[in-house]
Amino acid sequence: MSAETIPSLSPRRMAWFPTRGRISWFEIALLLIACALVVSGMASSLQDVLLLSFLFGGLALAWNIAGGYAGLISFGHSAFFGVGAYASTILSTRYGITPWIGIWIGALIAAMFGAVLALICARLRGPFFILSTLAFAEVVRIGALNWSSLTGGAEGLSIMPAPSLIGMVFASKAAYAALMLFYLVAVFAITKGLEASRFGYYLFAIRDNEDAAGAAGVNPLLGRTAALALSAALTGIGGSLFAQYFLYLDPTYVISPELSFQFALLPAVGGLGTAIGPVLGSFLITPLSELLRSYLGSSAVGLHLVIYSFGLIVVMLYFPAGLAGALDKLTRRGRPR
Amino acid sequence: MRLVFRSCAFVASFLLALTFGAQAQEPIKIGVLLPFTGPLAKNGIENWEAMQIARDMINERGGVNGRKIEYVQGDATNPNAAISETERLITKDGVKITTGSFASPIAIAVSQAAERHGVFHWETTGAAEIITRRGFKYTFQVGAPARKYGQAAVDIVLDDLAKRLKKPAADVKLALLWENRAFGKSVGDGIRTYSQAKGIKLVYDEGYDQTATDMTPIVQKLKDVAPDVLIAISFPNDAILFQRKAKELDFNVAAFIGVSAGYSAPDLRDSIGDSVAGIFVADFPPKVNEGVLKPAVKEVAREFYKRYEAKLKRAPAGHAAAGFSAVWALFTEVLPKAKTYEPDELREIALKLDLPEGSLVNGSGIKFTNFDWPDDPKDAGQNLRASIGVWQWTKTGNEQVFPPELATHEPAMVPLPNWSNR
Amino acid sequence: MSTLIQLILSGILVGSVYALMSIGLTLIFGVLRIVNFAHGEFLMIAMYGAWAFTHLFGLNPYIAAVAIVPAMFLFGAVVYWLVINPALDKPHLVVVFATMALSIFLQNAALMAMTADLRDIPPIFNRSIVIGSIHLKVELLLGFAITLLCTFALQWMIRKTYLGKAIRATVQDGEAAMLMGIPVPRIFLITFAGGSALVGLAACVMVPLFSVFPSVGLNFVLIAFVIVVLGGMGSIEGALIGGICVGVVQSLSSYYVAPAFGQMFFFILFLLVMIFRPNGLLGQQGAATIGMNE
Repeated sequence: MSAETIPSLSPRRMAWFPTRGRISWFEIALLLIACALVVSGMASSLQDVLLLSFLFGGLALAWNIAGGYAGLISFGHSAFFGVGAYASTILSTRYGITPWIGIWIGALIAAMFGAVLALICARLRGPFFILSTLAFAEVVRIGALNWSSLTGGAEGLSIMPAPSLIGMVFASKAAYAALMLFYLVAVFAITKGLEASRFGYYLFAIRDNEDAAGAAGVNPLLGRTAALALSAALTGIGGSLFAQYFLYLDPTYVISPELSFQFALLPAVGGLGTAIGPVLGSFLITPLSELLRSYLGSSAVGLHLVIYSFGLIVVMLYFPAGLAGALDKLTRRGRPR
Repeated sequence: MRLVFRSCAFVASFLLALTFGAQAQEPIKIGVLLPFTGPLAKNGIENWEAMQIARDMINERGGVNGRKIEYVQGDATNPNAAISETERLITKDGVKITTGSFASPIAIAVSQAAERHGVFHWETTGAAEIITRRGFKYTFQVGAPARKYGQAAVDIVLDDLAKRLKKPAADVKLALLWENRAFGKSVGDGIRTYSQAKGIKLVYDEGYDQTATDMTPIVQKLKDVAPDVLIAISFPNDAILFQRKAKELDFNVAAFIGVSAGYSAPDLRDSIGDSVAGIFVADFPPKVNEGVLKPAVKEVAREFYKRYEAKLKRAPAGHAAAGFSAVWALFTEVLPKAKTYEPDELREIALKLDLPEGSLVNGSGIKFTNFDWPDDPKDAGQNLRASIGVWQWTKTGNEQVFPPELATHEPAMVPLPNWSNR
Repeated sequence: MSTLIQLILSGILVGSVYALMSIGLTLIFGVLRIVNFAHGEFLMIAMYGAWAFTHLFGLNPYIAAVAIVPAMFLFGAVVYWLVINPALDKPHLVVVFATMALSIFLQNAALMAMTADLRDIPPIFNRSIVIGSIHLKVELLLGFAITLLCTFALQWMIRKTYLGKAIRATVQDGEAAMLMGIPVPRIFLITFAGGSALVGLAACVMVPLFSVFPSVGLNFVLIAFVIVVLGGMGSIEGALIGGICVGVVQSLSSYYVAPAFGQMFFFILFLLVMIFRPNGLLGQQGAATIGMNE
């Protein structure tokens, strides 16, 4: 067990991936390809996969701010997702407030939930933190399921599928794809900004050695709370966008452990604590799971999930630094370190 | 010369056959959205078997207007997978008609996606009231809305069981237990409203989570209020847990009415044995008194039951029979009248349907609302003639007992013997 | 009054069964410092095993334990060898995700092999034990007794036997233990397989009480997590106390508040414990606040 086999989670100098806060040609190329895919008139079933990849890429980046940068591995992020989705949907369907405004209110409420979770888990580390976030999301889920006068209970909430700009409902998938891409790019930019900022360095310090960070004058509790609140707010925005695209909220899905796992899984596969990792994770996993389900779902019951989960185990065991780490290794091969 | 003529004729006939054949072969694609994986898979797969029988039967009879029916499957494990899968079938496979989806939350999700694309959705079993109350144009709920399950359960108490219990209907102590997902809540709401309208007060009225692992508190509370009749809306796993706990704590009622999925599942007998006998179930009728069926339907019904039993080695549950009935109605009453098979045309045909009770295999008729229903003018596509009856588990099988016109048998074992005598 | 006694007694009995299914999880956590997210699926597989045994040979499920417990030990060893061991030297998130993927894998493999049908065995005892107006199910009483026995036996084993001492040494300081000649990797293997074997025992107790289906693990795994943390991760008697707490809280809150909120209350209880006593009721000092595997 040499030190080299343990991949460092901190963003390193990478051939394709630049130092903190800078943008590489690889990332610009990826963005251009994404834009080209949005404007090219592709079949709308593929557009479906594309926009989901963007949305989940953004959500993975949002999770990564807490999980990758601040070391707060949360399995309760679907609570923030659900809170954001419910807030904008309730405001628009019940009070006629346009989602363009509701999204921000949802983000604010999600941020408050995030801060509360950070305070509850102030002293917890490792598995204790993970399981507490899971329990927190369960409390929110059961609350949403039973507070039916507000959330519509188990019947969920429906948004009328009538296209309107004010209602943020579009007829064309390309419009949604553009919206989701914008979300992805925005969260990516925030992540990049964070990497270069003082706050970002505080977070790395807290993650890598909390005691030392505290001694150096960083307030760990404040840092953790701010990171989780920011991550929650961005996740809440993703939730609102999800609601506007699917137009139906089901409490047993939008706040569920499986969704929380999904948020954490994408950065883990792509590469934790890097800006590009979660994006790569989403671009790989989201299309893959959709395609597996559509091609294998009907031939043998459950087979697609068997293959999918088997692949995940293999990836986790053999590429623990994620795709970003694997790519990095590949591009460095033969070069002096 | 002759050879040339012959070969020309041959080629011509071959081409003719090819084009004709191609025309005849062009199938009608129907998207079937059911939960094939996950916790609801069992019911989804039963429904799928029933729907496949309907497809095979219609194709053996030459299809619809000479076109075969072809299914495209979508795995609607949960509402969000349902939306993705519906989108996929519509945009990738070009499906213009969807059907399915067994459970209410999935039905809500599938119809949402179908409506967005203006695709005709023929819902077979989803029951939550909200399905038809969102102002959708292309969603048709052929199965009964949740309210009807509740009404059937309350009606049998008022019209029949009260007499057998020798009590005035207003004095019957009625308790209501519902699982708090979309279906249970919707049926529970219906029962509450309906029994209030009938002047009956519920002595107990609580929801629970279907993943509950301990039923003691619920059964204990019911024991404390000692109802005469309990109406319970459950899924299979919690229904079994409840019955076992009722036995353990010796909780007895004079009549027990289960609603749908949990109590109609054939495995209930495997799980709780013969003590299942005497339990009433308000649900789609698994098999109705043949007398109410139209003669042509009678034949279809016999064939369906024969094939289903041959294939699955047991009689279909009510929801499977309902799934068959609904798609069979689609194949025989809606599609044959179509020319373009476009959703707008299908919608017109569906709205014109006026089939009396007994037109479908499970005793239902069809008459859809179209923003013209006095109870809720926002309602469209709800089938006002869907039949929900009450049947009863017996020592050997089950018998339809209510309403009288569908019944194959009289209600028996009222009051229900205590656990010590079951 | 008798209602309250009934609720508390039932809560204790059910809680002890929950505890039994959680002991394996807590043991694995205490020694390997990992959370097995596929724990619920281990339980599901073992329950299928116990069901099949009873169903095929017509034997009492408690006798099935003779076959199921060793089988689960083997199963645990195979999983350890294939999935856990390769993940141990990697960041702790790797093992979290690997076990989570394993849980999806096992669940869907079971769905393919067994379909989604509910499986049940016929009741073993036809009557409950009745004292006044209190009813107690014999299967639950047996479960309670087995849990107590199992807890004490494990305690004894950990305190007195060589294996137990080796395990304790590994928990205290893995590197020092290795230097003292304790085969730490083998201790890990034995603990993981042993924890799985305990799940096998729990399954035999649970099969007469609950139906088996591919996603049955989901209904129990969150309860197991709560119990393990509540009792203090790695503490065996803590799991017993945690289980009983969860059972009683669930029972009382479902009765006095509303059944739909029963689960919410034990999650809230869990969070409260995390805020005020993060090491759990009987946990090791500082376990919750030190980073794991870092």
